[in-house]
Amino acid sequence: MELGLIAIGAGLAVGITGLASGWAEKDVGAAAVGAMTEDPSLFGKGMILMVLPETIVIFGLVVAILLIFVTGASV
Amino acid sequence: MSLPESMSRVVIVGSRAHLDKAIEALYESEILHLVDYTNGSDDGFFIGRPLKGSQEASERLLRIRAAEKELGLKASAEDPFPVKDIRAQISAGKVDEIEKEVFAVADERNNLVQRISDLEAIHRNLSLLSRLPLDMELYSGYDSVKVFIGTFKTDPTEALSGLENAEVFTDVRKSEAPVAAVFVKASDSDKASAILSDHRYSEIPVPEGSGPPGLMAEKVAAEIADLNARLEEIGRNMAEFSEKHGAFLAASDEELSIQVEKGEIPLRIATSDYSFVIDGWVPSVQVESAKAELEAKLEGTAYVEFQETRGRKQHESDEAEPRFKTAPSKMKNGEMAAKFEYPTKLVSTPKYNELDPSILMAVFLPFFFGFMVGDAAYALPFIILGLYGIKNAKSQEFRAIGTVLFFGGIWAFIFGFFFFGEMLGMHFIAPDEFDALTVNWQDLLGIASYPDWFVSIIPGGHGVGKLVDVTFLLKVSVYMGIVHLFIAYAIGFYNSYIQHGLKEAMQHNGGWLFILVGLVMVCYAMTEVLFYSKAIEGVLLYTLLAGVILLLIGAVIAWPVEKAQVIMEMPGIVGNILSYTRLAAIGMSKAGMALAFNYMSIIMIGSGGDIVSYIAGFLIFLIGHLMIWVLAILSAGLHALRLQFVEAMNKFFVGGGDEYAPLMVKRKNTKIVETEV
Repeated sequence: MELGLIAIGAGLAVGITGLASGWAEKDVGAAAVGAMTEDPSLFGKGMILMVLPETIVIFGLVVAILLIFVTGASV
Repeated sequence: MSLPESMSRVVIVGSRAHLDKAIEALYESEILHLVDYTNGSDDGFFIGRPLKGSQEASERLLRIRAAEKELGLKASAEDPFPVKDIRAQISAGKVDEIEKEVFAVADERNNLVQRISDLEAIHRNLSLLSRLPLDMELYSGYDSVKVFIGTFKTDPTEALSGLENAEVFTDVRKSEAPVAAVFVKASDSDKASAILSDHRYSEIPVPEGSGPPGLMAEKVAAEIADLNARLEEIGRNMAEFSEKHGAFLAASDEELSIQVEKGEIPLRIATSDYSFVIDGWVPSVQVESAKAELEAKLEGTAYVEFQETRGRKQHESDEAEPRFKTAPSKMKNGEMAAKFEYPTKLVSTPKYNELDPSILMAVFLPFFFGFMVGDAAYALPFIILGLYGIKNAKSQEFRAIGTVLFFGGIWAFIFGFFFFGEMLGMHFIAPDEFDALTVNWQDLLGIASYPDWFVSIIPGGHGVGKLVDVTFLLKVSVYMGIVHLFIAYAIGFYNSYIQHGLKEAMQHNGGWLFILVGLVMVCYAMTEVLFYSKAIEGVLLYTLLAGVILLLIGAVIAWPVEKAQVIMEMPGIVGNILSYTRLAAIGMSKAGMALAFNYMSIIMIGSGGDIVSYIAGFLIFLIGHLMIWVLAILSAGLHALRLQFVEAMNKFFVGGGDEYAPLMVKRKNTKIVETEV
């Protein structure tokens, strides 16, 4: 039972943060691609802005990993 | 870690009669980064006029480019032409000759293409008309009859039956739109037109002619075939033409472009009625040699004078005349670090007075990449592919990617073999306890025991398990992050120090260094207390106290400049540090996928079943690992780059420098032969 809840929690952690990252990146990405078509040298700056929100899902992934392998192992 | 090369400003003054000689000398010495003159900077001086012949050269160039476009040329000369020959041929009018020929042929081709497209339209109309039983001459020449000929969406015959004396010829087929010719009294034409438009009438223009349309269509088709044959012939002629003159055109294009570029230099410098003044930057170490070289080339017709060597202090730039404010940045890196200048430039060129982060990039980019991939087998294709890219790639982008892949691959191998001790997601050595996560090479290949030296080089006897030693790996990545961030803040401090002096450096960056160290200590103590329920005493207590003190010192130092930012930014630093956990997390996600594929394929192959499950198992193994490998390029590559760009470089890098670009020409299709110089 407890292990199941941990698994659900881990899934939610990755899933929801993934959605959030995607939502944030879609706007930045569209604008960055638009800017890059005008001036390809903006790639670096575009990429920096583009990947900023992706930290959200990485944190989600780390939380999920901690849940499964650290909390899960002790159950 | 190095600053861009030190730059000195020189000025070249001479008589205007010798300006072309001076420009030639500057291009030959390939050392001066020209500073554009702005009108109004000095009394009596104005922007110059293009050199003689420049206008003519640019008109010729325009025509050559047009001719090249007509021929669809992108060729370059296989053997570079000697510049002397090209110049002689250009002035002898060979360019004009070729161009005349090209345009004559091109004009004929364009006319033919136009004529063919017209005839094709006529042919289409005639084939529609040939569906009706009428000859061509019957469609026109009436005074009191109006004729509508066209295609329809639906057959209009029934609707038109209400009109008096209307004659309708239709051809209705299943797969094609109906065609109809409608003859009505001229007085009824409005009514007819209204009815027809209800049936989506679209007019067919009737070509002039007589006899059955089918016959005429055949004639037109024959004419089209003739014209196409001629077009093909012209195409062959043009191909021959390109072959014959392509190289010459490419070479003249290059030579004329160079002439135009040189000819327009006076537009960037100051001239008076009788003299010219050229300002520019040269690397400080080369000032003396450049001066000697230029003066020798100018043979006393112009003088070169040293003006200043620009220091790194910000006020030196701020106080300079507007056009001398920014000295150009010439990145100064060793052979290795120079390969990583490209990713730095992706963000921006470093300013003249800030450290060039290419070395940081050269160290950490492949390191992070390797840590995230961390597998001896995935590393090998990266190394091979990277080596291939470095050796063979022509574009700078692919060479840069090749470099990262090569060094990243080496790190991936080192980490994969000596740290994780695994290959294709499986450890070399079986762990002590057996569970589901222990698919490994030792059991798989039935190796009884490894030699002692092999076991001794792999940490812990069987390597660090990506999915086992999770806490350890997360801690390692956080420590890497702390080191990386500390270096970034330290570089920021150094930049500030050389630009503004110690006091400002302390306030702007020094405070943050204290805060970073303090925060790390406090967070360490807090995690020990909260997660591992340790009592706050002994070393832990001292760490906590020291951390708090450092935090306070940092906050006090930074407060006068940063104000409340100090408090608001602190969680940001913790976020930055935690952001490095992606190093472990991405490695783990890859290990998780590899585990799943290995498990599936080994169950299938090991089930002792038929040949189908063997093949399926093998395919899953192959495709699965290929997928992980491709994902590794994207995720590990991008995240490694991101940690550099966002977490580290945001702490110190400003960029926006002006890249050192001395006056020089690159000849590809032409060459200067020694004897003519």
